[in-house]
Amino acid sequence: MRTYVARRLIQIVPLLLGISALTFLLLTLAPGDFLNTMAENPAISPETLEAMRRNFGLDRPVYIQFLLYIGNLLRGDFGESFSRHQPVFTVLRAGVANTLVLAVAAAVVTWGLAIPLGVWAAVRQHTWVDRVLSFGAFVWLSVPEVLSGLLLLLFAARTGWFPVGGMHSLDWDHLDFAGKTADLLRHLALPAIVVGLIPLAARMRQMRASLLDVLRLDYVTTARAKGLGEGRVIFKHALRNAINPLITLFGYTLGALVSGSFVAEIIFSWPGLGRITLDAILTQDQYLVMGAVLMASTMLILGNLVADLLLAAADPRIAYD
Amino acid sequence: MRSSTILPAAVAAALWLAVAGCGGKTGAAGAGRVDTHPLPADTMTLALPELGAYGGRFVIGQTGSPKTFNAMMANETSSNDVNGRLWASLMDYDNAAMRDTFGLAKAYEMSADGLTYTWHLRRGLSFSDGHPLTAEDVLFSFEVAYDEKLHPAVQDLLSIGGKHFEVSAPDSYTIVTRIAQPYANMVGTMASVRILPKHVMEAPFRRGEFASAYAVTTAPESLVTSGAWRLKQFVQNEKTVLEPNPYWFRVDARGRRIPYLDELVYVIVPDQNTAALKFTSGDLDALDQVKPEDYKTYADGAKAGDYTLYDVGPGLSTNFFWFNLNRVREATPGKRLGATQVDPAKYRWFSNRDFRRAVSMAIDREAIIRGPFFGDAVKNWSTGTPGNLTWYTPEVGGYDYDPAEARRILADLGFTDRNGDGFLEDTHGNTVRFTLKTNSDNNLRKAIANLIKDDLARVGIDCVPAPVEFNTLMTNLRQDFQYEAILLGLQTGVPPDPVGQGQNTLRSSGLTHFWNVKQPKPETQAEARIDSLVEVNLTTTDFAKRRAAWVEIQKLLNDECFVVWLPTQIIKIPVRNKFGNVKPSVIAHRILWNIEQVFVKPHAGRA
Repeated sequence: MRTYVARRLIQIVPLLLGISALTFLLLTLAPGDFLNTMAENPAISPETLEAMRRNFGLDRPVYIQFLLYIGNLLRGDFGESFSRHQPVFTVLRAGVANTLVLAVAAAVVTWGLAIPLGVWAAVRQHTWVDRVLSFGAFVWLSVPEVLSGLLLLLFAARTGWFPVGGMHSLDWDHLDFAGKTADLLRHLALPAIVVGLIPLAARMRQMRASLLDVLRLDYVTTARAKGLGEGRVIFKHALRNAINPLITLFGYTLGALVSGSFVAEIIFSWPGLGRITLDAILTQDQYLVMGAVLMASTMLILGNLVADLLLAAADPRIAYD
Repeated sequence: MRSSTILPAAVAAALWLAVAGCGGKTGAAGAGRVDTHPLPADTMTLALPELGAYGGRFVIGQTGSPKTFNAMMANETSSNDVNGRLWASLMDYDNAAMRDTFGLAKAYEMSADGLTYTWHLRRGLSFSDGHPLTAEDVLFSFEVAYDEKLHPAVQDLLSIGGKHFEVSAPDSYTIVTRIAQPYANMVGTMASVRILPKHVMEAPFRRGEFASAYAVTTAPESLVTSGAWRLKQFVQNEKTVLEPNPYWFRVDARGRRIPYLDELVYVIVPDQNTAALKFTSGDLDALDQVKPEDYKTYADGAKAGDYTLYDVGPGLSTNFFWFNLNRVREATPGKRLGATQVDPAKYRWFSNRDFRRAVSMAIDREAIIRGPFFGDAVKNWSTGTPGNLTWYTPEVGGYDYDPAEARRILADLGFTDRNGDGFLEDTHGNTVRFTLKTNSDNNLRKAIANLIKDDLARVGIDCVPAPVEFNTLMTNLRQDFQYEAILLGLQTGVPPDPVGQGQNTLRSSGLTHFWNVKQPKPETQAEARIDSLVEVNLTTTDFAKRRAAWVEIQKLLNDECFVVWLPTQIIKIPVRNKFGNVKPSVIAHRILWNIEQVFVKPHAGRA
């Protein structure tokens, strides 16, 4: 197992280099550069723009810029943000943490709803409960994230029950621990619902199908024949086996939630990686975009690795060595 | 069934979360601030409409996090908005009256020849850490501003006739600036050099690390500022909180030090729509960018709500379009030196003054005002808009809507509909058609472009609006010149001096001389004349002479129709009623420019 993990971690390096090269190429092909954002300001002279271009190294040929970047990257230097005059890593650090908070909360929403609702739909197969749940899940699946996000934001503004975006209230620093927790949860609720409900329909249906498969097996019939209560049959015997295939999906979902949270972050002013990335792309803050893409890719890759490891841990038949 | 309890439990949890936070909005902080620091010897007393009380906070939205607190290196709006509060200069600007005021300097004298200015610093000034602010700091700030390697954008304002100012300090409270030729914008320029603390910033400057000094990661307590405010807290992409500089020199008529507020908070919002939602829900105290289509909603809301919609009059930002008259200045494969950047047939139309006049006369500006602007705009013929108290020239008008005359001019130029398709053809049989590019993220400009298309179709010109992404547009405009016409606008700096701030636009050699940039020598007589008038305007301190030159520049621009002017928006700004001394202006920052004077009215929270 250790060699497997080591091998997977080493494989990340060429993968990330490939991603960097592609991102760099796309950024170079995009029209204009960081200094374009100053074009509407007539007070900035051509000489100043030239000096800035020189300072940022944008006057060098593209391949030199790329090689320098990769060289620095291999030494752990992500470069400096043009607009912030700060190392890219420093800019991204806080954003990554916030994105993870949202992704974890969204995962809680997804799984906290998918498992019980899937079980409910399975045990009430072909009843109105099953149909309503399936219908509801697919309706939500077909609503674009942007729309559900905006609708919830409007809901927050109209009712005042939830904050209109952001991560903390202004008085956050004066709150005690319980107050801070409640405040964070209030801010988390809507974005986590938006992000967490995207994979809900699929996960719920998987849970339902998996449980239905198990419920048809002989040992479940045996358990029922022995006179065990229906609750005991389902929760003690059937669910444990039915949930196995979903464990591996958990890791993949975590990765997907990180990328899925980007849109919600922007709608809900969540100070995560998505917000920083969008800012960086709009201003063509080259190295910040590169750094953000690398961070997001790393999280996605690690999520998949976790998925594979969970699979091995849950299923004794799978061994990677 | 246990699982059947899950859903109600989730709803209950959500309700609890909602309820738990309902009492969370705390109001203004107490008014018990005690000023422990002695006032400087030379305070500046402001005659305020209302004497305020201490306490409270003002919350405003910002669509981007500030990128740096280093005033010299800040180059974009979100950083400038915050840095404008953190840093002071020798001179300041009164946005409402549109005139220079004193800042760290209490007086200045100009020599008879207009070449030497002596600036007298207030006595007893301190930075936000209590360290004395003297002429040494001013000299240091100029040294940084003139640094060739850093090349801060402010450097462009700090030279006249291609020569830097000579700056010296005979004593701790006197600064002398010598210039090579008289400079009209000298006083205004002194407001753009932010005074930095030498005792903190010199070390990183000497080490070559100035650009990254005072980054947003700087601990608030080590960020020493010279302005009315200092940093209290910064949370990236969430908020920036400022608190009053306890050593500030401005006082009210009772001799009480301002700012009155305990906190000024910038909250990051993703866009103006969310800002509007946050204003409606009470999270923000004002909005500085309201779209004209929303004015009515806010006007209605103001009647019932707790805010006022201030009408501050025509804005200073302009809208216009122009034709591409650029020539190839560097030969590249397929491009001959001196060739026109557009199709030569189109260049023949575009470079014809009468064609441009006819286009201008085909445009129904009143329809544009009624349409995309919802009635809240005025006609404008100049970079000094009707909102500019100093530089508006009501005596100068342009070629306004007269479709019959436009048709007559086009017919005189030989344009007729030869093939009966409804569009004119020139004498060589080319259909008079051009694309009008604008930036796709600006809905207002896209709507205007569509109206222009309809107006021009009525006189037989086929105009094709083409919204493109902003960066592509900028590349088209300044690097590859791949466009026929562009619809854009110009913002105005502070002070709103259209020549001082707009040299690059007016001079034929300028980078933003849109229709034909960076000309080695002026290509038309009119542009040569404008160049010399810009020179006159900039090198005299006699306002009458400056204005005469400006009027002539405007007359020439309108006569030649180098740009086709479009209406300018009227600015309306909603601000909550609980604040006193609120005086929104059309100049950036429209609300916060006088925030040091703003206070929370007693008992306002209960209204």
